[in-house]
Amino acid sequence: MDRLKFIGKRLVYMVIMMFGVATLVFLLTKMIPGDPVVANLGQRAMSDPEVVAAYRAKYGLDKPLIVQYFMYMKNLLHFDLGTSIRTNKLVRAELGRCFPATIELALVSIILAAVFGILFGVISATKRNSLLDQGVRAISVTGVSIPSFWFALLMLYFFYYKHHIFPGPGRLSNIYKAPNTVTGLYVIDALIEGNAAKAGDAFMHLLLPSIVLAAFTMGLITRTARSNILDVMSTDYIRTARAKGLSQNSLIMKHALGNALIPVLTVIGMGLGNLLGGMVLVETIFNWPGVGQFAYASVKANDFPAIIGVALLIALNYLVINTIVDILYGVIDPRVRYS
Amino acid sequence: MKKKLLALVLVLTLVISALAACGGGGDADGGGADGDAATTLVVAMEGAGLETFDPGNVYETYASPVMNLCYDNLFNFVGDDPNVQPILVESYQFSEDAKTLTCVLKPDLKFASGNPLTSADVAFSINRCKNLKGNPSFITDTIESIETPDERTVVFHLTEPDSAFISKLTYKSMAILDSEAAKEQGATDAADAAETDTARNYLDNTSLGSGPFVLEKYTPNEEIVLVRNENYWGEPSDFERVVFKLQSDANTQMMTLTQGDVDIALNLTDDTVAQLDGAENVAVVNKPSMTVCFVMFNMDPEIGGPMANKDVQQAVRLCLDYQGIQQIVGEGTVTPYSFLQDGFMGSKGTRDVSYTDIEAAKQKLADAGYPDGFDVELTVCDLSFTGTALTDVAQKVKDDLAKIGINVTIVQQPWAAGFGDAYRAGEVPFTVMYWNIDYFDPNVQLEFLPGKLVGLRAKWTEDMDPEIAALIKDCMAETDDAKRAEILGKLQDMTYENGPFIFVAQGPCHYGYNTRLTGVTFSAPHVIDLTQVKLAE
Repeated sequence: MDRLKFIGKRLVYMVIMMFGVATLVFLLTKMIPGDPVVANLGQRAMSDPEVVAAYRAKYGLDKPLIVQYFMYMKNLLHFDLGTSIRTNKLVRAELGRCFPATIELALVSIILAAVFGILFGVISATKRNSLLDQGVRAISVTGVSIPSFWFALLMLYFFYYKHHIFPGPGRLSNIYKAPNTVTGLYVIDALIEGNAAKAGDAFMHLLLPSIVLAAFTMGLITRTARSNILDVMSTDYIRTARAKGLSQNSLIMKHALGNALIPVLTVIGMGLGNLLGGMVLVETIFNWPGVGQFAYASVKANDFPAIIGVALLIALNYLVINTIVDILYGVIDPRVRYS
Repeated sequence: MKKKLLALVLVLTLVISALAACGGGGDADGGGADGDAATTLVVAMEGAGLETFDPGNVYETYASPVMNLCYDNLFNFVGDDPNVQPILVESYQFSEDAKTLTCVLKPDLKFASGNPLTSADVAFSINRCKNLKGNPSFITDTIESIETPDERTVVFHLTEPDSAFISKLTYKSMAILDSEAAKEQGATDAADAAETDTARNYLDNTSLGSGPFVLEKYTPNEEIVLVRNENYWGEPSDFERVVFKLQSDANTQMMTLTQGDVDIALNLTDDTVAQLDGAENVAVVNKPSMTVCFVMFNMDPEIGGPMANKDVQQAVRLCLDYQGIQQIVGEGTVTPYSFLQDGFMGSKGTRDVSYTDIEAAKQKLADAGYPDGFDVELTVCDLSFTGTALTDVAQKVKDDLAKIGINVTIVQQPWAAGFGDAYRAGEVPFTVMYWNIDYFDPNVQLEFLPGKLVGLRAKWTEDMDPEIAALIKDCMAETDDAKRAEILGKLQDMTYENGPFIFVAQGPCHYGYNTRLTGVTFSAPHVIDLTQVKLAE
């Protein structure tokens, strides 16, 4: 019951937050200097007053700011995110097109980051100050500090260009057509289509960018897991369990890891939220049509409906993920109460 | 719990291994493949900004090779031939006053849909482009009306003499749409098309043309897929599919070309071309493009200050290090003689880089009344041309001007946040900008002359140079190419050391391609004419 009440409260909070974000981003896009007409019309067209007037009228840019705001908000109440000034398509459709690509990449990245991050964290904590610990810490620091675009180029260079272990950029090899859209996730859609080879190809294309994106989050998870396991290992109840003769493995897996995972879960949640917001540079290098590239192009074009759409999507990601993480706290640690 | 976890990990590992095995490591094995790699042409090009393939709205440079494959125009440029050729037209007559063009269409032309291509389709397509009042509508500015006396005859009546009109008809927005199919999707050529036409979203993802290919799917920032038009009226292509991979990064293009994942890479840079040295099965094309970078002064002394002075302008012209600028822009760059790029009909070619003369520049500055130089701001925006940031060229101009005592402060301003508006309104005192041609005809460059589009951005009005203004009119009205070239030659000489523009670089283009292909050349109107690319024997 507590949990349901908690989710209900979160939903109300979410709606209020969404309107707050929409208002803030709307005002910001209008306050910053920049004209969508100049950004989107060519040099010739913008010199023709008739063309400029037609363009402004088409997207309601000729109306007073307050009217534009209320028009936008009214549409938002009907779940209409408006039409992109840059592409002339519904923002909802545009996000629906590029978000699955981002989700697919983010999910594989976060799974890699979580599995290896926790594993490295455990190894590092149990072999504290050993050569192995030093090695793992070096990997995690590198993961956190390496610029992703550079790492992406490096990975592509070695694993694709030099040794051809992984396929090149893009979501599929040229011999395949994109699978019919069901979920938008190519691996799943190809499996639904019954084409295992296409699914495998899509999966292989996912790996290299996922590893690049996982590096940062994995570094954070490793460090958080290590320090929390070390904290938990020095608590009284672990000392008691050890005194009762439990093995080191059993201590960590049965008693320490559960408690140490709560802060790790927060890091995983934040990491996933971050990844779902899109990664412009990595997406560009890997030719990945995700939210990051869409957001970048929209900002460059001062395309305010699209910018607000992306901002709402990112805010929604964080709110949903935070809610899920909060619920999972209670699953991992039954002492946690929802309030 | 532990067993469940273990089972889950095991299942996950099995699924991942199975998927990876199906994926076949670095090489797709072709199992369950949708196309044959041998008959699929894969082209890597930048395309982050590609928004539309609707002929009435299309404008971006990299939409050109796609449009050229999906649609036909009445006339077009083929391969790297600089002479315009009739495509859908069997015969034509351009009136001596350059105000009426009569075209007779070839018989038995048809669209991919199977519908016949008639004069009504031509009139519909061009009127729609005009009435949509979109980015490319300027191309129809001189059209007064279009008559279609019969199914194969089209008569264009122009508002003024326009010797470039046939070249304008090669522009991608003058592509001929299947009007019957387009109307079903909400297209209209009515005067209020800007408000009532609803076909754009459809045409962004599907083509309704008569070209050798049909647009099958467009996924922004990822790829554009074309399939062969089985109803094509001309000679069919060697390829069944053409896939454009939208890769903005030159390194990515270089790597995918070398690995054989793409056949043609259109946006290589100096560095990446160097890395292709010795690569197997890869050849390179290095050519000057038609994109020019120029220094602009405002001719209004109240705006331009000292830069409005003709002697100061000549001093700048004399002191710039053209060779140094060429090196910044990259291999293959040339410096145009004047406003007309090297490669255009009537062009006087290039400016000799030894033109630079610092002593003469100092003397000119002294003549202008600034023997000790002066301080000035150079405003530059955040755009790039042929891969070089305009700020890099501005920095070089600043360094060069310092040699004659002109102390430049560079002011950076985003294109969309102020610069664009100020530039359009002719309020920028001194800048470095670039220009890409809209259509392939020397007349497109007349815009840099007094009283014309770009000339006015420098506040260069007709009354400042009436002789030039008169020659522009003659050039526009002259349909004889030899005579037009003569006029263009005069105009270039008159602006060689005169006027508010210094053309400092004609940027290069670097293409790489797999040697399994032939016919890969630079095409100024289309970026690349893929209709001429074939499989090597």
